[in-house]
This record gives sequence, C-alpha cells and structure tokens, in this order.
Amino acid sequence: MATVLIEDLTKVYPPTINNPKQVQALGGLSMSITGNVFVAVVGPSGSGKTTLLNIVAGVELPTSGSVRALQEGVPARVGYVFQEPRLLPWRTVVDNMLYVQDRKSDRSRREAEFYLQMVGLGDVADLYPSQLSGGMQQRVGIARAFLVNPDVLLLDEPFSHLDALTGRSLRDYLQRIWLQSRKTALFVTHDVTEAVELADRIVMLRPGGVTYDDISIDLPRPRRHGDPAVRDIQDEVLRRFDAMGAAVRFGAEGV
Amino acid sequence: MSTVSTVTPGSVSELSARELRRAAWSRWGYRLSVVAGWVVFVGVWYLVARLVLTPQQLPQPHVVAVEAWDVLRLREFGGNFQASILRVAAGFLLALLLSVGLGLLIAYSRWWRRLLGRVLQFVVSIPTVSFAVLSLIVLGISPMGPILNTMIVATPYITTNLAQGLTGVDRRLIVMSESFGRTRAQIIVGVLIPSSLLSILGGARLAFAVAWRVALLTEIFASADGIGLQIRRSFESYDIQGMLAWALLFIVIMLLIENLVLRQVERRLSRWRTPATGVAP
Repeated sequence: MATVLIEDLTKVYPPTINNPKQVQALGGLSMSITGNVFVAVVGPSGSGKTTLLNIVAGVELPTSGSVRALQEGVPARVGYVFQEPRLLPWRTVVDNMLYVQDRKSDRSRREAEFYLQMVGLGDVADLYPSQLSGGMQQRVGIARAFLVNPDVLLLDEPFSHLDALTGRSLRDYLQRIWLQSRKTALFVTHDVTEAVELADRIVMLRPGGVTYDDISIDLPRPRRHGDPAVRDIQDEVLRRFDAMGAAVRFGAEGV
Repeated sequence: MSTVSTVTPGSVSELSARELRRAAWSRWGYRLSVVAGWVVFVGVWYLVARLVLTPQQLPQPHVVAVEAWDVLRLREFGGNFQASILRVAAGFLLALLLSVGLGLLIAYSRWWRRLLGRVLQFVVSIPTVSFAVLSLIVLGISPMGPILNTMIVATPYITTNLAQGLTGVDRRLIVMSESFGRTRAQIIVGVLIPSSLLSILGGARLAFAVAWRVALLTEIFASADGIGLQIRRSFESYDIQGMLAWALLFIVIMLLIENLVLRQVERRLSRWRTPATGVAP
C-alpha cells in the first residue's frame, strides 16, 4: 500500500530576469495520502499544483519541508501523466512506451500493447506521434504512466489542452483503467467538474500553495458526467471555491 | 441560401487519390527540373567551348567525357581517388570528434559560447585557399595537409549545428525522462542525441560539401598523390582536357555521396516527421 506524506512543504522560486520578484509556489503545505485512493488537488493558477507534483516525482527540490512517497517502506515507483503528452517524436508509439521500461523484452512489449488496448489504441502501436491526434497522444501518455506499474500515479491537468468532448472521453478511459489497477493517484486540476467525477477526495489549494479545504467524495463508480449526485457535489465544491475566492480577495483567513 | 456538403468514404478516397496523383506529378516535376538544369549547364558549356573559346582553353563536354573514361580505365584513378577520399574521410572524422567536444561546451556554457562563437565565425570567413597555402608552408608536401584542412574547415559547421541541436532539445522531454527514473546515460542516448541528430546531420552535409573542396585544393598545392595532384600535373603540362576530366570525376563522385548517401541517411532518420493523418481523438 502506497503512502504519500507531505510535511510543511515550501517552494520559493528565486527572482529571474523576466520576474524580478521571488515567487512562493507552496507555503508550508501538509497532507497525507494513504492507500489506493484517487486524490484531486484543485486550485487556481499560482497555487503550486504542478510544483507539488514535480516535487513528489523528484524532478524538483523543495525549498523546505519534505515529501515521502513510499511503498511498503521503500521509495514508491512513480508514473506521471503531463499536461501535454511529452512523447518522443522520433519513436513509434510502442517504442515511446518501452522507453520508460527498465527491461526491453517481448513481455514488456506485450504489456505495452495491453495498456495501449486499454486506452483504445491497440492498432496504432507502430505509428509515430505526429500521425496521431492530440487526444490519442494523450491516451498514449496515460497508457505509458500505467505501464511502469506505478505505486503512485501523478496526473498534471492531463485534459486541459483538449477540447471538452475529447477530455470527457479521456476521463472515461482514465476512470476505467484506474478502476482496474486502483493505484494511489494524485490528480492536479483547476476543473472542479473533472475532480468530482474522478476523485475520492478533493484538496483545495489557495494561491501561495496553502490548503484551504479537504473534501471527501463518497460516490459509487464509475461516475457519469451529468449524474445528479455528481452534479450536487460539483455545486457544493464550486460554492466552496467561490467562498475561497472571496476570502482570498478580502484577505480573510477562511470561511 | 446555405449549402450542406456531405463527405462520404468514396469522396475521401477520391480526394486521397487526387492528392497522390498531385504528389506524383510534383516528384516528376522535381526530377525533370534537375535534368533540365544539367542539360542547360552542358548546353552553355558546349556553346561557350564552340563559339567563344578555343579547344585549348575549354574543350567541349564530349571530349572531356571521353578523357574522363580514359582516366577511369588507364590512369590509376582508383589509387588516386582512394588517397583523396581517405583524407577527406579522416579529416571529416576528426572534425566530428572535435565538434562533439566543442558543441557540448557551446551548448552548456555561456562563457565558452561567447569565446568559441567568435572563433568559429572567424574560421568560416577565412578563404579556403589560405588553408591550402598555409599547410604547404607549415607541413610541406604531406598527406596531413588535406586532412588537417578538412578538419579545420568542417569543424565550425558541425559544431554550430550540434550546439544548436543540443540547445533546442525540448526540456520537457528531459523532465519526463527524469520523472520515469531514466538515468543520465539513458537520457543522453534516448533524448539528447536523437533530438539533435537531424541538426548534426544537416551540419555534416554542409561541412562535407565544403570539406572535399578544401581537401582537393590542398592536394593541388601540397600533396604527393591524390586527385588534386593529378589536376595540378595536367595543368602543368597544359593538358586542359585531363585537368577537367580528373576534376569532373571527383566532383561527380562527391555529389553522388552527398546526394545519395548523406541525404538518404537524413531522409531515413527524419521519417518520423510524417504529417498528422487527422484521425479521430
């Protein structure tokens, strides 16, 4: 069972030529995730969502505080789905999948093809990314993250660059594949609708990277877009979001 | 009144067929224009040789062609060509090795970029004949002259393109690789080299085109064998036909290497740049 422990996490970016002021992306964030849950981190731009995922993935270092992603006491294996597909354009789809695999064998190729089939792309394994649409490329990105058999799955607004219909269809793919694997997932988004459709728990961040609210979503899966129960919770989360906006605007500590 | 257009599978395949036909015509048009270019070149040569100059100044194309055939059969073309091509290859290989080091310095160090950028600009602007003369003064008649000159002239082109390729690497792909636990060596082999490979090849092709001309020029001045020496000997004995024949054969072979080998390698390595097919999401 995977655990992600985030303690008093702060990230401050130093001034640059383009931005002469230092920027605080995360300001003492603490949270813990235990077990096979899908956690959505929701917040406006500048609330440090992507920074949080990068630190959990180990590609950025915190200014202070700590992050530990563990699986049975050892460092957890991480699978990352980015905002853009980030595929290597000179490799075919299946070779892109195999790039993140430690061992290249017939078995790993079969596994790659299995996950491609899971996202409905079984017949494009030998095409290059430039031959796929944006939605298909993002599905490859999702399949690639699952291929490494991650203990912790990180998703950074994976549908934000897609049109609404494609985004919805990809959410269905993600939900289906996650239900089969039940990985610990940390999903960053600014879209409350998709957060409620996918998550067991929503952590709301406010600008400056501080937790504002922590909401449990207890709804059966698979959840459907437009389902009345889903819509009710979306309305409630949006109401809290508006309240947070007002609180931030008026400098209040909370609502 | 509004109109509604319907796209049926049949009309899509008709459209594709039309586009394929257009692409085929475009390919044939390109080939025809290449042939037409050569025909015009030979035609102008023929007219100038016939009407403007004497045969001692410029022999007609067919005379040079017959002489070239004789050179191929009777005058040790193979041995001289081997000597020249090996020097070009050795100089080119040295330039590649040197460019990897210099390209890495320029790509990843601002200080080195400033320093070497100016030096490389300076080297590119030196007339190539200066290298030939200089190698004669410094090295005398030596096979090292063409090799070193090829290396010096080719290096700036390959280095600049290599550095551009490395600095143009998509940083997000490196972050992706790191997030999936790829090692530094895996990132170099899997991301850095492939993403700068086309840029390097472009530079190499350009460098090759300049390098063999310099090698030939240096051989004319300072070599004990090779095609360049044969051109000089023909010139010294007023054998203008032989001079043109030797030069023509070497140029044709170099152009074939440039176009049939280097360009094909480049085309093969850029296969992935196929346009989007417009398939459903």
